Amino acid sequence: MSRKIILVAALGILFVMFFLSMEEMEDLFKNDAKLYFFEHGLDDTGSSNLITAILLDYRLFDSLFEAGILLVAVSGVIWISRHDFEERNAHFMLDKYKTPELFVTLSRFVFPLLLMLGFFIILNGHLTPGGGFQGGAVVATAILLLYYINLERKTDISLIVAVVKFAYLGIVLTASISLITRGEIFTNFMAVDAPTMSKYIYIIALDILIGINVALCLWAIFTAFLKEGR
Amino acid sequence: MNDLMWIDIIAYVLQFMLIAIAVVVVLQKNNSTIVLLVVAFSLVVSGLYVINHAPDVAIAEVAIGAAIIPLIYVISISRQREFIVLDRAMDDFIISNNDFTGIGYVLLKRFTDYYHLELNICNDPGLCSWEAGPDKVICEKTNVDLIVSRDEEKGVYQLKGKESSLLMTKLAQMAEDYDDIEVHTFTERGFGE
Repeated sequence: MSRKIILVAALGILFVMFFLSMEEMEDLFKNDAKLYFFEHGLDDTGSSNLITAILLDYRLFDSLFEAGILLVAVSGVIWISRHDFEERNAHFMLDKYKTPELFVTLSRFVFPLLLMLGFFIILNGHLTPGGGFQGGAVVATAILLLYYINLERKTDISLIVAVVKFAYLGIVLTASISLITRGEIFTNFMAVDAPTMSKYIYIIALDILIGINVALCLWAIFTAFLKEGR
Repeated sequence: MNDLMWIDIIAYVLQFMLIAIAVVVVLQKNNSTIVLLVVAFSLVVSGLYVINHAPDVAIAEVAIGAAIIPLIYVISISRQREFIVLDRAMDDFIISNNDFTGIGYVLLKRFTDYYHLELNICNDPGLCSWEAGPDKVICEKTNVDLIVSRDEEKGVYQLKGKESSLLMTKLAQMAEDYDDIEVHTFTERGFGE
């Protein structure tokens, strides 16, 4: 009983402290960083979507490690599931896990649209909401639908992992080109006074590489889960 | 001003829906219902993100929370309910008269129905290897739960299940009625061995 009282008291204290800290939040919203990004974001990075500008230019160091964490997660999942690199599809006498016909028909209709939406989000990361990560996740969803249409689909996981490694290497190398052109690592490789139009190229290239990385990583994780019980 | 008020009302409704869905997820027992509720949760959350001017996060939430996670959960749940049998006897134990009417099938079907599992039978002998001896089986490529084989000397069928599986006691109890069926266990190769 006393334990419960202590728990409730602790929750009450947390609640009061949360409300007290709400007043401090006022200072946070008056921050100068926001105004700075509003004024200089488009000129500095060539991206009218300021989230992409921050993710791929001002704070690129964070994004690199985010992509790296996905890579580590994939290797962890594959190691734990002891997934065999040699694919072996055994023939089962009673396969009851047939996908419902309605789902298959709808998936066939939705698949190209989803793929197109994914590529749209990746390629327009500098203009519209979204970017490499979101677009990659949508493309991965489209690919996963194929496994529901045909349950015996074969996948070469070692090929996926190899491509993911090269994509990650590509992200790091693209981000480091600026060391040669600007003398400063992990930023846009175009010159500082280049027109905004040409600064796109860097954002689009990085978005495509991150999209490939994310889509293939999610694909590999799904395949490992698909084979787990079998 | 009028528009702003509507958005506020929608935001409050969505926040109360979040709490309701979270409570129902904890109380639910059926796995597939829980998956659908998790999808509803992420859709509501992404709506709140859009109202709070974060469309980037909303797209990520929809793609991950409402598409990829349920797809993975659906596959995992269907695998969890599966009971895989490897048939090495290859005679009328499972299939007789070109139909699933053999005594072994009837027994296994009764057993899996008792635990609400889905029975699945495979006769590909390459799935497991017996290199380490008859009692130590390595099934790396698939997760085989039970191996059916025929002992020619004694003239009985042997059902070998994992030593770690608690279901084997019940199967042995069920097989007591049959004279020509024996239930044994095999040891698996441990993790990382």
